[in-house]
Amino acid sequence: MNEDIRAMQALMERHGYIADPAVATALYLAKEMRKPLLVEGEAGVGKTEIAKVLARALATELIRLQCYEGLDTNTALYEWNYQRQLLRLKIAEREAHDPAELEDLIFGREYLLERPLLKAITRRDAPPVLLIDEIDRADDGFEAFLLEVLSDFQVTIPELGTIRAQHVPIVVLTSNRTRELGDALRRRCLYLYMEHPSLEKELRILRLKVPDLSEHLAQAIARFVQRMRSRDLRKLPGVAETIDWARALVRLRQDRLEADIVSATLGCLLKDEHDIRKTGEEAVAEMVAYASGSQQ
Amino acid sequence: MSDAHGLTVQLAKFAAALRSHSIRVGLGDELDAGIALTLVDLLDRQEVHRALRIAFKVPHEAWATFDKLFEEYWGGTVAPQSPVPRPVPFQDHRGPVQWKWDGQRVRIAVAEVEVADAASPAYSAEPLLRQKPFEELSAAELAAMERLAARLALRLATRRSRRLIPARGRGMVDLRRSFRDALATQGELLALARRTRELDEPRLVLLYDTSGSMDVYTRVLLAFALALRRVIKRVEIFAFNTALTRITRLVAPAKISQTLERLAAGVPDWSGGTRIGSCLAQFVDGYLSAMVDHATTVVIVSDGLDLGDAQLLTRCMQALRSRAGRIIWLNPLMGDPRYQPTAAGMSAALPYVDHLAPAHNLESLEGLLRFVK
Repeated sequence: MNEDIRAMQALMERHGYIADPAVATALYLAKEMRKPLLVEGEAGVGKTEIAKVLARALATELIRLQCYEGLDTNTALYEWNYQRQLLRLKIAEREAHDPAELEDLIFGREYLLERPLLKAITRRDAPPVLLIDEIDRADDGFEAFLLEVLSDFQVTIPELGTIRAQHVPIVVLTSNRTRELGDALRRRCLYLYMEHPSLEKELRILRLKVPDLSEHLAQAIARFVQRMRSRDLRKLPGVAETIDWARALVRLRQDRLEADIVSATLGCLLKDEHDIRKTGEEAVAEMVAYASGSQQ
Repeated sequence: MSDAHGLTVQLAKFAAALRSHSIRVGLGDELDAGIALTLVDLLDRQEVHRALRIAFKVPHEAWATFDKLFEEYWGGTVAPQSPVPRPVPFQDHRGPVQWKWDGQRVRIAVAEVEVADAASPAYSAEPLLRQKPFEELSAAELAAMERLAARLALRLATRRSRRLIPARGRGMVDLRRSFRDALATQGELLALARRTRELDEPRLVLLYDTSGSMDVYTRVLLAFALALRRVIKRVEIFAFNTALTRITRLVAPAKISQTLERLAAGVPDWSGGTRIGSCLAQFVDGYLSAMVDHATTVVIVSDGLDLGDAQLLTRCMQALRSRAGRIIWLNPLMGDPRYQPTAAGMSAALPYVDHLAPAHNLESLEGLLRFVK
């Protein structure tokens, strides 16, 4: 393996993220090739966490843009500070100004409110990490607009002119695939698909995230969750759910899996009423037996 | 693979292979892949594999194909890190009943008792049908069809998006525009500019049953599809019988008779049997995520006479339900007052359908407007 990729992997791990080789490779390539990284995968596999930890690991600022339907440039890019502008206009009333002069007055940089995208390209000191979360939730119109920003890293504000990026930010986009993203956006990025972690990886995550968990219970939990994912469920539990559940079991002072406690805490793992109903006592007992058996 | 030139050639060949296996890869992706290869350890095959998959932006569905081609083009063996996605097993859901429309009446081959029972209303309902061949529809009737489609489109478009657009009169105050306008009057705010929520353009996916049992209705319903296509920009049309065919491009607003010819030629097994379950499964696997969202209305036009796997149909309807804004099932058999939606396929799908409506003639399609509020 390339030394730099290995270093990236170690760096992420030092800051609390178990990155498998695919994640480390993607991050390294994104950083070196200066391309945005599009991360797709099931909910709860740790897509958003990548950006957060990356920012921490590189000791740089994390700028986050949460997408939602109807997100527009006012919230994503910039907005004028109307209150200040209004005040300034009131003051200007006492002086005599012609319209052009007035315009210069209130459309200055100090009246501009920077929203995440603009913020990300105006950092002076170091390239920040820009997290564009759940891009699939924004409408396709916004996606097209984003494409423009991500390709040129410059923003044109009619009143001010063009602002170019001081440093090209490291961009991480995440998508839950509630809608297929446009091909153009995908092409502009590097692409990483994250799956549910392997047993071994999940165990390492558990050990790292829930340190007061006994090794014995950690193994049982990881095996149980892996087994659960092989069932035909509407929504499979992600790593976030595994961690929640492990923490709940630690709180409940459990040191091994027992069917009744597992049934009572099933809500930590399954977030769908239909799935919970479908996972009856028998199924839980079977999975508990599987998880606690054959680990000696 | 030792010199850079050899590597580039190999990469180009590999990209061509990906393309030939319908993994969309552009020149830009090839460049990305080329750069990525300069950054990774070329002696580590696993790493080359990962890097190429990232740089070529291979979607998850295509991983199995990618892995196979990688093995072929980059020598040695690669252990895929993930289980290979299981292919959808193809099952023949064609029931024991075969319907054939021979021009005068529907012929039924081999029918079991319950089947004959469920199906019988369809073929005593002849007077209800507007049996005129489609080419003979008068200009006035066609115009009526289009007016109807336009009204339906309007009803479907009543959902407001969260996106704001400039508006006159009411709506939220748009300070930015207000300020711009105020500059013309020395900064005096004389009028407020406003914005309001935009109307969502409706999206429509039509799934047409073109099996033999539907033959008599197909013409009228295709006229309806054509009319819809004229008023709504985003319409996707599929035909299904024993397999699913995307016919959006075939149903062009040109001469109608030509359209029908094109269709008959372009859709395999036209007037054959039906396998609703497996056809819907094809749709769900191949198109659902790209074509259906919360603003989409899915219209299924079928008599629900399918003796295939009801469970598969249920699963597909669940998948549709979870994404579609609205599901309308048009069933020509409902034209008969005695009809009960008891056919296996129909009762499996019913819990997931928003509106079940008759569709045996123009009047019944007009009735659809009442359902769609």
